[in-house]
Parts: sequence; C-alpha cells; structure tokens
Amino acid sequence: MATRTKDIQKKAEELITTEKSKAPAQQPLAVPADNPVAYPLELPQGEARLRTPAVGQRARRPDGRLHGLGQTQYIDDITFPHMLHAKILRSEYPHARIVSIDTSEAEKMPGVMATLTGAEIPENSFGPTYQDQPVLAYPIARHCGDGVAAVAATSEQLAADALEKIKVEYEPLPAVFDPLEALEEDSPKVHGGDTNIYTSKTIKKGDVEKALKESDHVFHRQFRTQMVEHVPLEPHASIASWDGNGRVTLWTSLGRITLGREDLSRTLRMPQNKIRLIGTVVGGNFGGKNEITTEPILALLSKKSRRPVKSVFTRGDEFISSTIRHPFVMDYTTGVSNEGKILARKIRLVLDGGAYCSWTGTTIGKGSILAPGPYDIDNVLVEAFAVYTNKTTTGAMRGFGAPQVCFAYESQMDDIAHKLGLDPLEIRLRNGFSENSLSPTSQTLQSVALKESLTQAAERFGWKERRA
Amino acid sequence: MLVELKVNGEPRSADVPPETTLLKMLREYLNLTGAKLGCDVGDCGTCTVIVDGVSVNSCLMLAARANGHEVTTIEGLANSNELHPLQEKFEEHGALQCGFCGPGMLISAKNLLDKNPDPTVFEVRDALAGNLCRCTGYTKIIEAVIDAGRVMNAEQANS
Repeated sequence: MATRTKDIQKKAEELITTEKSKAPAQQPLAVPADNPVAYPLELPQGEARLRTPAVGQRARRPDGRLHGLGQTQYIDDITFPHMLHAKILRSEYPHARIVSIDTSEAEKMPGVMATLTGAEIPENSFGPTYQDQPVLAYPIARHCGDGVAAVAATSEQLAADALEKIKVEYEPLPAVFDPLEALEEDSPKVHGGDTNIYTSKTIKKGDVEKALKESDHVFHRQFRTQMVEHVPLEPHASIASWDGNGRVTLWTSLGRITLGREDLSRTLRMPQNKIRLIGTVVGGNFGGKNEITTEPILALLSKKSRRPVKSVFTRGDEFISSTIRHPFVMDYTTGVSNEGKILARKIRLVLDGGAYCSWTGTTIGKGSILAPGPYDIDNVLVEAFAVYTNKTTTGAMRGFGAPQVCFAYESQMDDIAHKLGLDPLEIRLRNGFSENSLSPTSQTLQSVALKESLTQAAERFGWKERRA
Repeated sequence: MLVELKVNGEPRSADVPPETTLLKMLREYLNLTGAKLGCDVGDCGTCTVIVDGVSVNSCLMLAARANGHEVTTIEGLANSNELHPLQEKFEEHGALQCGFCGPGMLISAKNLLDKNPDPTVFEVRDALAGNLCRCTGYTKIIEAVIDAGRVMNAEQANS
C-alpha cells in the first residue's frame, strides 16, 4: 500500500511540474501607483489542493464502526419519557367515499390519548410535484393504503387494538386497476374530471413515420414491468413532539428534510420557523423515503395529547402505503435497415401512477429521455402518459424510470439481432452512442466510452467463446 | 410476568406482558437496541441473537421462552479494549452501508465462526441465508466474515 501511495505522489509531482512548464510566462499586471493595497494575484497553492494521496488507498466509512457495534441510533432506537405510539387505520376499499368516521369507542379505551381523522388536518394535501395526496384520506379514499384515521396510545399493542374500535362507514365507488383501462374514456376517474392522465411528455426528433416506411424491417412489441417496493430494512419511522412554545420537532427517517419541512408547513398551516426536522441515520432509502408520510399525523397527535408520539410502519404498511416503482406499459416500434442500422424508433409509454402523483414528474421525464436507448437514431418519437389507478402510489425509486425502459429497448435489440442473424453484441456496436453523439433531446454527449466498454467486457468474459 | 435470563454474560430480568417477544424485551425493557425490528415475521434476520449457541430470530421468540437461558446480542461482541474481529473486518471491508442489517449479520456470522472458524464461501452464505441486506449486496459481507475467521484462527494459534 505504501509503495502505491508513493507512486501516486510521484505521478502527481510529475504532473504538476509538466503543467508548470507548459504554462506560458505571464506578464505581471500593472498596479496603479496610488493603489493603497497591494498583493500578488498569483498565490502559491497549498499542496493538498494539487494532489490527493487518498486516491488508491482503502477508505473506511465514517459510520461503519457504530453500525458494527450496534450503537447507531435509528428512529426506533430513540425513546422519550411519556412517549406514545401511533397506528394508522387504512381504507377497506380501493375507491370509496367516506360517509362517517366514529372514533368515540376508541377514545374511551384506557391508554388511548388521542385520535385523528382527515377532516381535522388544517391543509389535507401534499406532494412534491402536484399537491394531490391527502395526509389522511377525506372524504375520498383512493387506494387501500390510504390512511383514514390514526390513534396514539401508551403502547403499540393498545394503539393496534384501538384501531379495531374505530367505525368507518364507506360508500364504495367503482375502481380502476389497469393503466390501459384507466386511459379509456368510460373508465372510473380516480380524481374526478374527464381523464386519468395527469402528466404527459413528448419527445420528437426527425420524421418517424417516413423513416419507418423506408425501413427494411419493422419490429413491434409491447413490454410490461411490475410494481417494485424498495423494502428498506428499516421501515418508515418518525417521532413528533409539540412543545409549549407552539413549535414542533420531528425526528424522522425522511431523506429530504428541507422538502419535508415545506410539506409540513403546508399541511399544518404553520410557518417553517416553528417546525424543526431532525433527519437521523436512515436504514435504507432507495428513493422510498423522499417525501413525508406520517409526519403531520404524528405532529397533530402530539399537539392533541401534549406528548411525544412515535410511529414505525409495519412491513405491511411499508408495502401498501409507502411509494413504489412505477409499472410501465411500453410499446416499441423500431425500423431497421438490412445492415442492422436503426432508422426510427416510435415509443409509447404508459406509467401506472397509482393513486397520487408523488415523483411521477421526474420519472416520466427521465424515462422518456432514456427510452430510445443509448443508440444513434435519427428519427425518434416518444409519447409518455402517466395515469392514475386505484393502487399503491408510485414515486421515486433508484433510476426514476430508467430500469423499466432499459428492459424494453435491450429486449428489442435482442429481437432485432435474432431476426437479422446478427451477434447481439454486433447490433449494439453498430448503433451505440459514440463521442459527440446526440441524445434523443439533442444534447451533445461527451466522454462516451460505450463501444469500448462493451468490446472490453466481451473480451474479458469470453463472449465469443461462450457463444461458440 | 417475570423473565430472568443471562444477556451477554450478565444476569438480567424484567417484568413483561406475556405477549412480549424476546426482541421487544431486549429493546424496550433492557434498553439493548442493537437488535432491530425489520419485518416482525422472521424474514429479514435483523433481530438475530444467539440463544444457548443457536442463532434465532428474536422477533419470533417469546421472552418467556428465553427464561433461564443465555442470550448474546450485538452489544456483547466488543469489550472495553477491543472490537471483535468480525466488527473490525466488517468496518475494514465496507460491509455495512445503511447498517440496519449489521447487528443480525454480525451475530449470525459470530455463531458460524464460533463453531466453524475456517468456513468456505458456501458455508458463510448458508449461515447468512436468514439475514437480508438491501444496500451493499453480500460480497463484501462474505469477504469480511472469511477474513475475520482467518484473524481468529491466527489468534488462536498464537495463544
């Protein structure tokens, strides 16, 4: 290790000396004679700024030791005196009007200190793109993960028991579960209005229809991907404490605390300077902890009970109530020449958004831009639609739509190679991005090493030998 | 009901409701929060502790069943002078990212190395089959366990 560090330092020194010798001699700038302050414009740089001996050395995570000792404090490891535990009752129906909620029986139970329903929330809507999601559903529940009432009690078990005493009267409404059905005119509308489409995106480059007509081969196929839950090992967890100064402090597993404070300020109708959010160590996020979930509920339960209130999602809550990855329905039509050159690609993406928007704006944008794949294609048309369905809300997850479209375009590349009798590697080398290629949105791409990477990887793992 | 047991060598006791799991007793009554609650149904293994030489999901074991038994938790691995070789090697190999699976992983690994100080990769994978990690993947964790086994063997040879 020591020799390696020395080598790196030596290289850095060489680099600095050669850079210096390359630099043209500079004429000192003339300083006015009556200038009261004088200093050299070119200051010597500290050596640490010019070299990083850390490169090539093994690093240790600064939090690794506490993790290994079991001493890291996640939310559920924090307790306060007189702290209560909250549980949330979820909708019995995927789509229903809530006629009435009766919490009186639950409130009579010894140890139950507060209950909360959607009607009591000052501003019952939030969301990073559109504010279309209620904190607790009222008067309409749009999927089975929607909370309809919450309870804070002296123990978790008691809070769970109290949920069973809450009486909710529902008027079930027709629901829609398939994104393509949700596109139809006579489908039930999740948020009313005359359409379930809530976001769309179009990318156009060249003339797709003309190029498809001129292509020797046209390939069409529909690809679908499924829902994926992040499954962080640590479930969503928060503690809220409303104090005598009218301020609220939240300890939360939330990843975006600044955005979270904005959402809290909106939902609680309270200035941000009265809200303190403490983001603790997160036991896995992967995009699933990018927006508030129970935080406003806990804040209000704490306000009502005058006690700190904690909530930890069960694994079941985690699956039905936290966000998940968007399922995509992807129609790919690709025109190819006899030589295996892609001439045109026409794509329709339908994103199953679930009940609320969440991070769909980011997902549809990234998914659409990446949909044609890392290939030089002169004629591209991408039309993407996000639709509401009465299912778990889809949101941010690693890649924001990139893995879904990658599955589709790479599968189709294999279809094309198979039909034309080409090596799957060869079809990618013939069409792949190179230096200064234009992306589907006409961005000039630099530092592109796609073909080199593919070739080297194929050599290293013996692609040819394995196919032989 | 009164539950009396030995935790990391020390006699401990608590008066708990009968439905209390061993995990809940450790975390909420004995303030040993190292073992975590991940799924509460015995799938993820982040609540793993050793009871009389067997690694168990403490979320599935009632505290009453541990009455009179010997329990080892993550808090019992290091001492005031040094880390356990597993803790040292997990840190060195970067085997922990978010760290939530760590206590369970380390405890399962300790139970393996206590019985088999020179395990094969396959044996390590088998021993950790009940512990899920969602961040780093398992490669570094397996490397760290094998490396720790080597250190423990060398220490034993020297003593």
